[in-house]
Amino acid sequence: MRREGLRDLLLFPVLTLILGTAANFIPGRQLPFWGQGHVPPAEGTDFRWLDVLSADALATSLPNVVFLDTRAQETFTASRIPNARPLPLPDVDRLLTPELENLLRHADAVILYGDGDEADVEQLLAQTLRLRGFAPPFILVGGFPAWQLAGLPVEGGA
Amino acid sequence: MGWLRNPWVHRVLGLALGGIFLYAAADKILNPQSLVTIIWGYRILPPGPINLMAIYMPWLEVLIGLALVTGYKRRAGAIWGTGLLTLFTVALLINAVRGLNVACGCFSTSAQDVHNAWMLVLRDLPMLLAAAILAFAPPRHGEVPRPTGPTVTRR
Repeated sequence: MRREGLRDLLLFPVLTLILGTAANFIPGRQLPFWGQGHVPPAEGTDFRWLDVLSADALATSLPNVVFLDTRAQETFTASRIPNARPLPLPDVDRLLTPELENLLRHADAVILYGDGDEADVEQLLAQTLRLRGFAPPFILVGGFPAWQLAGLPVEGGA
Repeated sequence: MGWLRNPWVHRVLGLALGGIFLYAAADKILNPQSLVTIIWGYRILPPGPINLMAIYMPWLEVLIGLALVTGYKRRAGAIWGTGLLTLFTVALLINAVRGLNVACGCFSTSAQDVHNAWMLVLRDLPMLLAAAILAFAPPRHGEVPRPTGPTVTRR
């Protein structure tokens, strides 16, 4: 009985190995089994951190600093950093128009911000932009809440 | 607490929890690349084994789901389910303690789907309890519901 139970338990990893390995050979959904492949975003390669005061200093001292807001459209409409452009990660293909691409290519600095400290979405967006040939952008530490907390100007609420 | 070993309780819990496992696995199987970034977002595993987890974990979820729903090898499925849910809960707990809210990847592989980690831990606990009941309080012998169907009589 005990042996049968152990056999049942072993059945699961064995079948998982077979199914997972087979599925990973389907074209279009393959991942390297170990290490490099779908590489997570990395500081330095894909993005650089920037605190709010430095971001404000950049925006006031350079003429072409572009802020990209990764939050949902409704949140963006309600309140945002002045002149920021919306670019939520799921909408990159739709919102990254030739006009915005041109703006990003000629920007003195591109600063991404969202609504959380972890900035996972911003890091993924930064990687996406870098893979599309743009210079690694900055990510605002603390996102929009930190900007607000610092008492820096916001716009929106139309 | 004898009701925990009632076969009908096991059947209902198996259907509910198995359904959840199957639903949770669907998006992960369809989008393994997105799952990689979700697992990375937990900041627990080094880069090496992240892909392995993205390749195999959804299939383990499918097998657990099938076992729980169909009742075939249900107890073994429940033991693996308990293990997997414990792993998820601990991973969420680590991030909750760190003060990080993560895209849990529980039912979707969208990195934008960020929730409060403590709430996610609380959401996992009933499922963990259900899996533990299925795994460690097996139905009483002699009470297993027999499949219904035409009765065959010998002449």
